[in-house]
Amino acid sequence: MSKIGLIIGREYSSRVKKKSFIVMTILVPILSAVFLIGAVYLGMPEDKDHKILVVDETESASLGIFQKQYIDLTVKKTASGNIVDDPDAHLNTKYQFQYYDEIENGKSAKQAKEDFMTNEKYKDCDLILYIPANIYASNTARLFYKEKPNSLVQTYISLALNESLELSKLNEKSISDSLTSNENALTFQDYQDIKTKVNIAVIDYLDETEKDDKSEIKAGIGFAFGLMIYMFIFMYGVQVMKGVIEEKTSRIVEVIISSVKPFELMMGKIIGIMFVGLTQLVMWVILIGVFSTLVIPFVLPDKYSAAFQGSNPTEMIQTTSDVQAMMPTEQVANIQDNPLLDVLLNETPWIAMILVFLFFFIGGYLLYGSLMAAIGAAVDSETDTQQFMLPVTMPLIFAYIISIMGIQDPDSAIMVWCSQIPFTSPIVMLVRFSANGGEGMTLQLLLSMFLLIITFIGTTWFASKIYRTGILMYGKKVTYKELFKWLKY
Amino acid sequence: MQNEILFSANNIVKRYAAHTALDDVSIEVPKQSIFGLLGPNGAGKTSLIRIINQITAPDSGEVIINGEKLKREHISIIGYLPEERGLYKKMKVGEQAMYLARLKGMSKNDAKTSLDYWFNKFEIAEWWNKKVEELSKGMAQKIQFITTVMHKPQLLILDEPFSGFDPINTNLVKNEIKNLRDEGATVILSTHNMGSVEEICDDIALINKSKKILGGKVAEIKEQFAQGQYNIEFKGNVVSFANAVWGGWELIERTQIGKDHFAATIKLLGNNTLNNYLKALLDHVEIVNVNKVIPSMNEIFIESVQQKTDQKEELQVENTNLTNNTDNNE
Repeated sequence: MSKIGLIIGREYSSRVKKKSFIVMTILVPILSAVFLIGAVYLGMPEDKDHKILVVDETESASLGIFQKQYIDLTVKKTASGNIVDDPDAHLNTKYQFQYYDEIENGKSAKQAKEDFMTNEKYKDCDLILYIPANIYASNTARLFYKEKPNSLVQTYISLALNESLELSKLNEKSISDSLTSNENALTFQDYQDIKTKVNIAVIDYLDETEKDDKSEIKAGIGFAFGLMIYMFIFMYGVQVMKGVIEEKTSRIVEVIISSVKPFELMMGKIIGIMFVGLTQLVMWVILIGVFSTLVIPFVLPDKYSAAFQGSNPTEMIQTTSDVQAMMPTEQVANIQDNPLLDVLLNETPWIAMILVFLFFFIGGYLLYGSLMAAIGAAVDSETDTQQFMLPVTMPLIFAYIISIMGIQDPDSAIMVWCSQIPFTSPIVMLVRFSANGGEGMTLQLLLSMFLLIITFIGTTWFASKIYRTGILMYGKKVTYKELFKWLKY
Repeated sequence: MQNEILFSANNIVKRYAAHTALDDVSIEVPKQSIFGLLGPNGAGKTSLIRIINQITAPDSGEVIINGEKLKREHISIIGYLPEERGLYKKMKVGEQAMYLARLKGMSKNDAKTSLDYWFNKFEIAEWWNKKVEELSKGMAQKIQFITTVMHKPQLLILDEPFSGFDPINTNLVKNEIKNLRDEGATVILSTHNMGSVEEICDDIALINKSKKILGGKVAEIKEQFAQGQYNIEFKGNVVSFANAVWGGWELIERTQIGKDHFAATIKLLGNNTLNNYLKALLDHVEIVNVNKVIPSMNEIFIESVQQKTDQKEELQVENTNLTNNTDNNE
């Protein structure tokens, strides 16, 4: 075993010292950081105009809470008694609210939706904010859309609704506790009671099913990990193959296998290169982290921050602002605005994710690495590798394509199957695991891991047989038929 | 000093799918000797060497070293220089030599000491930090030779050790091989270079078409192949040379060196001795030089291999076209 250690050591140190390794190690994180920032930046919603039809059921006979609280500042009554949005009163004039006043006439939310489509009056509106009567209890409102609104407008609306609810609660409390003018008397308990986090379900008004855009982001993050495994297997698998060919063509192999067993030489190479990959990976993670934290605050613009801040000069908002002022304001606002960052920072089970990643990373590499070693042993030069490379790389590329398609539907039948088949699971499972947040997958995960282990033991055995014969075979065009013969030697 | 047997391979058989590489081959290598393993390309030498190095296993037969059956632990007492040899091109010379030494089971210190000794001996100490790709082929060969002997192996197996060396370095290595033998190592030398076999081998085995066809001490084999031929250089008339002795000899070859100055190769027939022959000749021509024709290993090699081949072919074509047969013999 000390000899295999020597081999691992040589493979590792000779590769880590290479210029190409160092360049890759530094260059990739820079590119990745640029890419990541680009993705976050593009993920930043475009500031589009919206007109929002508000259907407020909270008080059927008079103004609902949203109007009641929000109206004072942003709407005015026309001479005829209609309530219209007052653009001048908005801090943000891009979003305008129009109130669906038919509720008072006994029309339901369902009818509101019909009107939304058909009534000339509302043809400018592209969103319906539906506030149910039980909003205080459920904290859930619904937003129907014709065209999916970006996160910026969603945030704006939820902040607006939040504020309305909080103001409404504050008023109630003030009245019931007779604290009409003495705001300072609010206790922390009062604040807790008043504090609201309203949930807005974003729904296609035709489809009616709730779209959780975060599930796609989660699957996408899983895909990013899977992609890393894919690239790693390709890059380092090819390195294993090239290493074997190098030993074969430089004719050093016979010298070495007079000292160690061919299996030790093969495994030493595969494991040594695996450590090179892990080293690179760790370096990347560290460097990407460093570059990203250094650069992100400069790149992300201010305009998304404080979109709604200070629009209502009440004591409570003031307090929140004070708290916010102590933190780097942009970041807080950005995280809320940006679903990618939100999922990355708050909704990914990182520890489980990293463990699963490492397992499939190593397992997938060992599986393909041993096959690549066998290919390297079977041929005389890199130009001869094609015929054997194809069947090995096919499942890998297939897994990659399946995973891209699977981001939208991570639990489809083909994804489930491919997450179990060891030749595709190292990539596909990552997508599924991440998309599901790791929940309810334990059994599938364990089965997939088990299958992967069994298979890489099998491929290693297979590879060692081919390797043993192949490395001493020169100047012979090898066919598949011949390879099968070698298995029997 | 040569009677003790260090190494023997007994009745080795190795078959591959389509052909038999070694068919019941046995060799015995006396301790502290240089043993020539000879044979044409594809005869099975490399197969035998790989079995000795435990790279492959024989289908039957056994290999005995130092009285023990060959096993994994013997790797550290064997040094092997394969015919197909090379080094990691991108690695530094010293680093690489250290690595190979460690693989042979040497400790770091022992490896360094031994390598320093050899690098100094070959006057290549300044190559230590060079990359192998910067070296010429001959230089790389030197490194390979060093990595074969650095761990003081008891059994040294050298497959075509002189290929790639210029005459000066060939001599250097040749002397080094002899030194190693004198210091106690046993050497198995596989080569096509018959000159060097003659010069340094004590014993040989000749393998052809998977079978051992000849073996023994070099001197004895040569004696065995000598055919009572002599070279005679003389001055005088050729006709009187031919008339001087009547029967009992056969002229093999004659060349004219100068005016009335000839060289002839003759073979004595029957019970004739050289003395009688010369006596008869003395009165007729002036003898300048006489020497016995001892076949070179080269001739023995070619003769043995062709003989075997001929025999085989004769058997095969026995009942077929005669013209074909003679063609083959030519």
